[in-house]
Amino acid sequence: MSKELLPGLALQKVDERIMTLNVGPQHPGSGHMRIIVQIDGDFIVACDPDPGYVHRGEEKMAEYRNYITNIPHLERPVIHDSCNVLYPYVLGVEEILGIEVPERAKYVRVIASELNRCIYTMYWLAIYGIFLGHSTMFMWPAGDRELLIDLMEKMTGARVTHAHFVPGGVRNDLPANFEDVCLRQVNYFEKRIKEYAAVFYDNPILIARTKDTGVLSRQDAIRLGTTGSVLRASGVDYDLRKKEPYDVYDELDVHTNVMKEGDSYARSKVPWLDMMESCNIIRQALQKMPKSGSVRVKLKPNPKGKVFDTVYKRVESGRGSLGCYIVSDAKPEPYRVKLSVGSFRNLIALPYLLKGEKLGNMPSVYWSLNYWPVEADR
Amino acid sequence: MNTATGIIKALNSGIKHLAIKRFTLRYPEEKLKFVGDGYQFDPSTGVGIAGSKGRHMLFHDKCTGCQLCSIACEGVAEAIGMVKVPEEHKHNKKAIMPQIDYGKCVFCGLCVDACPFYALYMTNDYELSSFSKEGLIYTPAQLQVKPYVSQDVEIQITNRGATHG
Ligand code: SF4
Ligand code: SF4
Repeated sequence: MSKELLPGLALQKVDERIMTLNVGPQHPGSGHMRIIVQIDGDFIVACDPDPGYVHRGEEKMAEYRNYITNIPHLERPVIHDSCNVLYPYVLGVEEILGIEVPERAKYVRVIASELNRCIYTMYWLAIYGIFLGHSTMFMWPAGDRELLIDLMEKMTGARVTHAHFVPGGVRNDLPANFEDVCLRQVNYFEKRIKEYAAVFYDNPILIARTKDTGVLSRQDAIRLGTTGSVLRASGVDYDLRKKEPYDVYDELDVHTNVMKEGDSYARSKVPWLDMMESCNIIRQALQKMPKSGSVRVKLKPNPKGKVFDTVYKRVESGRGSLGCYIVSDAKPEPYRVKLSVGSFRNLIALPYLLKGEKLGNMPSVYWSLNYWPVEADR
Repeated sequence: MNTATGIIKALNSGIKHLAIKRFTLRYPEEKLKFVGDGYQFDPSTGVGIAGSKGRHMLFHDKCTGCQLCSIACEGVAEAIGMVKVPEEHKHNKKAIMPQIDYGKCVFCGLCVDACPFYALYMTNDYELSSFSKEGLIYTPAQLQVKPYVSQDVEIQITNRGATHG
C-alpha cells in the first residue's frame, strides 16, 4: 500500500493465537468506556483503555456561562461527589474575584465535602462488590449510603447534584438541629462500615481474588502520575488535605491511610479506611464550627474578573487530586475553565497493571483504580 | 486467619442481619420527611433557608414580572419562560409571570436566589411525572397552588439498627 494510513485506521498485524475483545462502552463491567483487551487464552497481553464515550464538553460550556450559572453543570461529571467537583472551581473563582469567605461557611463546606466523599466511596464500593460477584457488598453500601444522602438532603435540599457551594460560601445555612442528627447518623454509619471487614475485607475469597493482582509499585505509581487512593495504596503518603490544606483542613487533625502492597486489595481497602477518617473529620468539624454567623457573602450581580487572571486550585476528591484552572476575562464569563481530574490520571496505569493478568481479574483491577468514566471524559 | 474461620465469620456477620431491622423505605406508602417547607431565599441577607429543592411555588401578589428568574435560568436550563397573565396585579405592569418547564429544570434553585421580591420559592413536592411533555409545563396558575404533601417518615437509629420510622 502506497498511502500511509492514519494510526487509528491502520490494520494491526496480530498473532493467530491472540483474540481482541471490546469490553464496553455499554458494558456493566466497564462503565461508559471501552477497554480493548487482547488475550492469549486466559491471559491479557495488551490493553488499551478508550475513554471519551460520554464527553459532554463541560469545559467549553463553562466559557459561555457566568461564574454563578456554571455551578449546576460543572458538578455533573460526578453527581455523587458533586461538592468535591465544584470545590476547586469555587476556590479559584473566590481568588479571582477577591472574596473572603466567612469562617462558618468554610466548616460547612468541609462537612459537605467529607459527606460527599463517603457517598461517592460507598457507591464505588457497591459497584466493586458487584464486579466481584459479591452481591451482599452491593446491597449494604447502597443501603447505608442512604444515611448520608439523608444528611445531604437536609443540608442542601437535593440527594445528588446539590449545587450547594458558591463563590463566597454556601447557598444556605445548616437547618436547625442538624448537628445532633449529623453526629448520630455519622456515628451509626461508622459502626456499619466497620462491619464490612468481616464480610468483605477479611473474607478469604476476596483476599484470594485480589491479593497480588495488578501490583503497582511505589516508583511506578509516582512515575505514572497516579493520585489519591491509588497512590496511597502504593505506599506514598500524599493527601492534599494534609499537604496543601485548603479552607479549614489545616485546623483539623487529618490522618492519611497508607498501604504498602499496591495491589487491588490495597487499592480497594484504602478508600474504606478513608471513609472512617472522613467520619473523624466530620466530628471534629462539627465540634470546632462557629455556632453562628454568616455563611455567604453577598456578591454583586454578574461579578467580573480581570483580563487574563489565571488561577489553579486543587482539592482532594474521592478519586484523588482534582484541579481547576481558570482564566478570567473582563466579562462575567470565564475565558477558560479546565478540570484536571484524578480519574484520568489513574486510568493511565491500567495498561501496565493488566499486562499478564487473567481476564477474570480485569474488572477488579480496573475498578480498584477508582476510575469514574464520566469525570475523565468531562 | 485460616480460610474456614474467615468464611464462617463472613457468613456469621451476614446472618446477624436477620435480627437487624429492615432499612428499606416503602416509598409510595411512606415518604421521607424533609426539613422546612422547601428551599427559600432571603434577598435582604443574601443567604438561603435550608429546605428541599422540589417544585416551585409562585406568589402572584408579589411577582413584579421583572424577569430576573428567567435570566438566571438562561445559563442553566432555559426552563423558565415569561408568559402573559390577566392584568389583575397593579405592581406587575407588564402582566407577565414565569412559567416553568419541568422537562428541562434541574432543580438547582438559582432562580430562587435571583428573585428579589420574595415571589419564587421551592416546595417539598417532587412527584411531577406526567404522561406528556406538555403536562410538565407549569403555568403561573399551576405554580401558585400550594402542594399537598404527606411526608412524615424519618430515619431512626435504635440498638437494633436504623429504620425508616
Ligand atoms: S431550579 Fe434551576 S433549572 Fe429549574 S427553573 Fe430554577 S434556575 Fe432553572
Ligand atoms: S418570580 Fe421574582 S424574579 Fe421572577 S419575574 Fe417574578 S418577581 Fe421577578
